[in-house]
Amino acid sequence: MAVFGANGAGKSTLCYLLSGMIPNIYGGRRRGRVEVCGIDPWDHPINEIAQRCCMVLQDPEAQLFMPSLEMELAFGPANLGVPREEIMRRVEEALEVVGLKGLNRRNTNALSGGQKQRAALASVLTILPDLLVLDEPTSQLDPLGTKEVLEAIRNVREGHQVSILMTTHKTEEVMGLVDRCMVLKEGRVVALGPPEEVLSQVDLLEEAGVQPPTTARVFSAVSPWLPRGEALRPEADPDRAAGSLRRLLGAGALRLVPREVPESPGADAVGEPILQVQEVTFSYPGTPPVTALKEVSLDIRQGEFVGLIGQNGSGKSTLVKALVGLLRPQRGRILFKGEDLSRLSVGNIATRVGLVLQNPDYQLFSISAEREIAFGLENIGLAPERREERIHEVLEMVGLEHVRETFPFKLSFGDRRKLAVAAVLALGPEVLIMDEPTTAQDYRGRYLLAELAQRLRERDDRTIIMISHDMDLIARYADRLVVMYEGRVLLDGPTREVFREAEALRKTFLAPPTATQLAAGLASEGMPADLLTVDELLARLEKGGH
Amino acid sequence: MQTIFSYIDRDTFVHRLHPVTKLGHVLLTLIIILIPYGPTLESALALSVWLAFSAVLWGIAGISLRQFWSLFKILLATFVFLILIQGFMYRGGEPLLVLGHLPISGGADLGVVTDAGLLFGLLLCVRVLVAVSALPLFISTTTISRVMAALNSMGVPNRFTFMFVSSLSFTNLIFEMWNSIIEAQKLRAFDIESMPLWQRARRAYVPVIVPLILLLFRKGNDLEVALKSRAFGSTHRPTQVEVLEVTWRDHLMVAVMLGVFGLCLWIRLFWK
Repeated sequence: MAVFGANGAGKSTLCYLLSGMIPNIYGGRRRGRVEVCGIDPWDHPINEIAQRCCMVLQDPEAQLFMPSLEMELAFGPANLGVPREEIMRRVEEALEVVGLKGLNRRNTNALSGGQKQRAALASVLTILPDLLVLDEPTSQLDPLGTKEVLEAIRNVREGHQVSILMTTHKTEEVMGLVDRCMVLKEGRVVALGPPEEVLSQVDLLEEAGVQPPTTARVFSAVSPWLPRGEALRPEADPDRAAGSLRRLLGAGALRLVPREVPESPGADAVGEPILQVQEVTFSYPGTPPVTALKEVSLDIRQGEFVGLIGQNGSGKSTLVKALVGLLRPQRGRILFKGEDLSRLSVGNIATRVGLVLQNPDYQLFSISAEREIAFGLENIGLAPERREERIHEVLEMVGLEHVRETFPFKLSFGDRRKLAVAAVLALGPEVLIMDEPTTAQDYRGRYLLAELAQRLRERDDRTIIMISHDMDLIARYADRLVVMYEGRVLLDGPTREVFREAEALRKTFLAPPTATQLAAGLASEGMPADLLTVDELLARLEKGGH
Repeated sequence: MQTIFSYIDRDTFVHRLHPVTKLGHVLLTLIIILIPYGPTLESALALSVWLAFSAVLWGIAGISLRQFWSLFKILLATFVFLILIQGFMYRGGEPLLVLGHLPISGGADLGVVTDAGLLFGLLLCVRVLVAVSALPLFISTTTISRVMAALNSMGVPNRFTFMFVSSLSFTNLIFEMWNSIIEAQKLRAFDIESMPLWQRARRAYVPVIVPLILLLFRKGNDLEVALKSRAFGSTHRPTQVEVLEVTWRDHLMVAVMLGVFGLCLWIRLFWK
């Protein structure tokens, strides 16, 4: 069962109740009854509940603490006194199920994000629980990691007598995996049933802050035009969804509207180069050294909105760290308006190129939002009389003026991220880099920072570079895409053109947005294949004559 | 990045030894360096023999000279300090270099470097080197799971060995967080690393330590959930997964170790 809901809807609380973390670790009051595999977790110690129900958290780092994968997987059953031979048998079996066979002796620190989460899953499988509770197990993973973990969950589901309850925001990815879905809104169940039934209720999902699958949005929009009795169920596979639409087009229930596809902004639509990356090579020390950037060259122009995409380890973060001076390339140069950044300190670069990190909690420490912003201004030596004006300006820009005296850790995660943006903006950078602005955000929160970036670009002609794994977000906002692969720029061009390169993208385990895939599936009917969003797709469909 | 304090995944004679045998080497090393030494040739020889023995073990374990050199570089400043301080402060020996005369109580002359002082300083350096060469050998060739098993086999309760292991992984986490926070604050023009020492002490650590503490609380909470979810603290007697065996290698190693140890003692006490 998949459980969907906005942040704060009660998903994690449900997980904690089922696994006995409430009341054993977290306090609270309860009404009603919970029964897990015949026992009420409220009445049993947690190590007893763990033999029936185990939980996997969203942060893979926090769950792995043993020195090797084998020890990690053996930890649970060893605590329960299971004989050694049986433990080793379970370890081998669990490793096979999650696709980590042969890595028994591997240090868990050396695993990738997806591997770590699969290891966390395997580490509870060896206990042979009846119920697995997975709390947003893919929320911190890239597309490849997400795919690997969902594949592992599929294997567990098929090969074990175990029930799985998984909370997630990724409706599209889990649609073909689960038997039932539940939607929570403000602590209440608002929908429960088979996925094709629950996920086709687009308005209900939107209202609950859950992203409806793209195919559900398209089908919901065209359903009033369909003949009586004809209903479309959301599909996990875009090809099959395109097949359904082709059938309706063929039957005359739908008709294509010929419309020109908007031109991608060309080089003349934006300004002069503001950042120039010239044959930059960077290697991390080690035996052997790891070369993360290999002769990367790139020009970013004033006022561009650039999407930087690629798998973890492709070199995106290293490139961004080099752009803000946290890493100094061994070869090549980076110029800001013609000025070599290697001559500037990180602090000086911060007044030209700002980076907003994924996790604001690595930065915030002051007693109020305004003090948080003042901190950076003091560091760059801005005159005290100008600080107040700048603080007011940036707080207003991000919509946090009303909480200027609030302790930052009392703010919601979304507001803390906005505050981190404000703190960076206060330094006055002309280029703003945002690292994965959708991490740990729900449907409503995920576009928050991207919208903000868009406004800044339109208002002040700032240049935006955005790292993201969210192709829908990238398609919606970026007018240029840079695809990194193994330390090199694999593709670089207008978003529409880059998403046309489905084969090259597949090499990097990336896929165009579902709307683009649907459009490509309808190309034989005359639909332009390079559409980017659901709105663009729907604008080219209308009610047919029959 | 490989450091002298990280495990090197190889399959060598030293790697296969029982951890307790390797701890025996650490223990004998401690005894060797605690024996009193004067500025004499036999003292230098005894220490050098043990150092050479440790170096041979490093070689067998496949630890590269580069790592030994890293260790040496870390200690270089200490060595220079020891040699200079002993050269000037040691009482006795023939003068090698006279910079002036500044006699102090006890008979030493701060203006004169003596040969015995220099030799004693050198001996202290070798002693430090001998002392610090043993532990990396143990750590680089023993997996944490084998260390845990060894501690358990010596009767240390499972909870304590787990605390030891989890504190190691938490230490790594703290270092990673520390670096991430410093980088994050640099992005707000706050560069702790380039600040003068007095400024660091005055104001630099609050922007780093506050987020670190708050993040650690959160991680600690997650760790507790992860542990409890895997039945940690159950009333069952925990199963020992890692099996340690004493083999012919351990017998051989113990014999060689005791032989070399005896030789060093003989050189130090009886060799003329």
